[in-house]
Amino acid sequence: MTLSNVLLVARREMLQIVKLRSFLLTLLILPVALAIGPILGDSLRKAEPTRVTVIDRSDGDGAKALEARFAFDEARELLGELSRYVQRYDLQAADPKAPWAQHGRWYGPADVAAFEASGGLDAALEKIDRVRPEGVPLFEPPVADYRFVAPPSGLAQNEGADFAEAARKLVADDKDKTKPEILVLIPQGYPADTRIAIYSADEVRGSFVGKLQEVLTADLRTRLLAQSGVTGERAALVQNIAPNIAIDTPPPGGGATERLLVRSIVPLALSYILMMSLMLSGSWMLQGSIEERSNKLIESLLACISPEELMYGKLLGGLVVGLLMLSVWAGCAGIAAFATQGAIADLIRPALEPISSPGIIAAIIFFFVAGYVGISAIFVAIGSMADSMSEAQGFMMPVILLILLPITFLLQAIIAGNDGPLVQVLTWVPLWSPFAVLARLGMGIETWELIGTGILLVVWIAAELVLIARLFRASLLAAGQRPTLAKVIQRIRRPEEAG
Amino acid sequence: MPVLEIHNLVKRFDTVLAVDDLSFSVEAGEIFGFLGGNGAGKTTTLRMVLDILRPTSGTISLLGAPPSRRVASAIGFLPEERGLYGAMTAIETIVYFGRLKGMDEALARRRGMELLERFDLAERAKSKIGDMSKGMAQKVQLATALVNEPELLMLDEPFSGLDPVNQGLLEDEILRASERGAAVIFSTHVMQHAERLCDRLLLLKKGRKRFEGTLAEARALLPARLDAVAKADLAKLPGVSEAAASPTDDPDWQAWSLRFAPGVEPGQVLQHCTEQGIVLRRWEHHRASLHDVFVQLVGDEEIKP
Repeated sequence: MTLSNVLLVARREMLQIVKLRSFLLTLLILPVALAIGPILGDSLRKAEPTRVTVIDRSDGDGAKALEARFAFDEARELLGELSRYVQRYDLQAADPKAPWAQHGRWYGPADVAAFEASGGLDAALEKIDRVRPEGVPLFEPPVADYRFVAPPSGLAQNEGADFAEAARKLVADDKDKTKPEILVLIPQGYPADTRIAIYSADEVRGSFVGKLQEVLTADLRTRLLAQSGVTGERAALVQNIAPNIAIDTPPPGGGATERLLVRSIVPLALSYILMMSLMLSGSWMLQGSIEERSNKLIESLLACISPEELMYGKLLGGLVVGLLMLSVWAGCAGIAAFATQGAIADLIRPALEPISSPGIIAAIIFFFVAGYVGISAIFVAIGSMADSMSEAQGFMMPVILLILLPITFLLQAIIAGNDGPLVQVLTWVPLWSPFAVLARLGMGIETWELIGTGILLVVWIAAELVLIARLFRASLLAAGQRPTLAKVIQRIRRPEEAG
Repeated sequence: MPVLEIHNLVKRFDTVLAVDDLSFSVEAGEIFGFLGGNGAGKTTTLRMVLDILRPTSGTISLLGAPPSRRVASAIGFLPEERGLYGAMTAIETIVYFGRLKGMDEALARRRGMELLERFDLAERAKSKIGDMSKGMAQKVQLATALVNEPELLMLDEPFSGLDPVNQGLLEDEILRASERGAAVIFSTHVMQHAERLCDRLLLLKKGRKRFEGTLAEARALLPARLDAVAKADLAKLPGVSEAAASPTDDPDWQAWSLRFAPGVEPGQVLQHCTEQGIVLRRWEHHRASLHDVFVQLVGDEEIKP
């Protein structure tokens, strides 16, 4: 076998694929999708709070209490988010005594009151900005879930069935952005009449109903306590008494599940990219092989080079295409990280941590290349047997399912932090071990497992290439023959006699 | 030393004996016709010479060595079933095949352009094969076989599918290669091309050699036929194996249709007539055609007009 011939075939294969429009499109689709994804995600996320109107016919403080409770919860959420931000970027020096600089507890009314008394978010950000290092992104406050709006004029005048009809019509009108989406009616007979009506065109979230129930229950309890002679501070104490909850968790990004996810991002992406680029380049390689067979140019090629040179050239060409795709995508990720510095770089730093040692980099390259060669060889064998793309797809479908289905389960298992029997089995079966090993690098894989699976993979690929080379040689000139299983076995066992 | 020597070559596929104890040789500068019907073993033999298939037994010596890709640089091959990469340009295709045969890129490009100019395709050098007509693509494929100026040029059914103009171009290239000193082997079942071009022929039937020799030797395999008009009884002439007489307008003269035993030269019989004073009005000798020989040896079901 001559290396120069292998390289010539590889170069031609690579150029043929690279010049395809579908290749360029595919190359661009992933970065574009990744760039558009967050924008789309943002646009899909509910950007505006849900509008709520409370009509309180009881002349009590129900509506005000509700509004105050929602406002408090939003302030607490904002405080919590700000605290996580400050903790993540170590910005406590901005005001060590501020509640948002003290992270170890569940914020209560006193914290929220102190936060608001000290000027709220604007004042906090002003202080934080003074100590915020360059590259640390700005704080993005959460969007409030609900906004209370005044009832439309005339609505409250309706009674009974007319009110219900008017309320339903009102919440169903999703074009007018001033009208409420949720309407709560506290009846005139409240608290004797405890039937609270909620009107909405969509399903109302459990958290909303829960909060509503909590506020009104507290109101009912206060009234009941008053009737029992418990009033003033004592009644308030009964209502507000709550345990002081301390929370001890690692800083954001440092929790076990979160850390595992962050550490697994790049390894999982590598496994996914290997799978995707294999499927794509496998399909292009198949097209090339079928063109050679259907255009009857195999014999001209075999007059110049051996079937083995042709096969290895195809594998090498496919591998170069795969590495090219990986490089372009990695390059795009690098550019994105550089361009956005703060957010992505902050995520990438811990994500790159598990794969930054030279040994692991060598393992990544080895398993990527080995996975590519091992699976591409199967596609090349299929290409050598099929006379048309439809015939090839008949062989491809079961092979793709055999490869992809277990990998789908594998990736899900690794995202869930599960390294049970399925993951172990897939690690040691050479067909899947490149994907499993790459995906497991984030959660940690023993060195002996890396070496063991690597040796097994090399042995498998060597045996596979010998057998596929026989099949390839015997199949190339056997145009027009339907390759039955018996025929395939005969070609592998005695390639010289297979007709 | 012959360019190609084959001894006792056998190729078996499963239960099918494709080539059966075949021996022949081809010298430099010789045009060798490889004739036989479908399934006679022509393509299988050529594939063994190219090392695409391995013989079951027997030996092949190509320029003094067994077939291998190392001698690919000395071979030019045009397969029966032709095709090229549709997305490659004409010149890229020729250069690619030239490089696969071990040529330097610059030399392959220069020779490729020379061939395209000779084939009147220089202006289409950068056209994609997929954009060319079938005839143009066939010329490009011929150029891929010739780019390395091979010492052995093998053409498998080269004239099939070619229009008369391209058939003439191919005949010119075969003669040009032979004049350059290349051994040319082409398989065909179109007898006119073989008669016009071949120095020697080999006839195959079901993998077995039926004949090897020159065109004259092939013709001599069949008895000569002769039409004559004479007063004498020509059936008694020496060497005549069959004779049939029929009357003419003149009752004194008879028209004779004669067949001679193999190896008998009609010229010798004419000399005998002259010496014996046998008066002849007509002496028309019909030589056996290669077509007749082919039909006799291989059968007429495989022949193309």
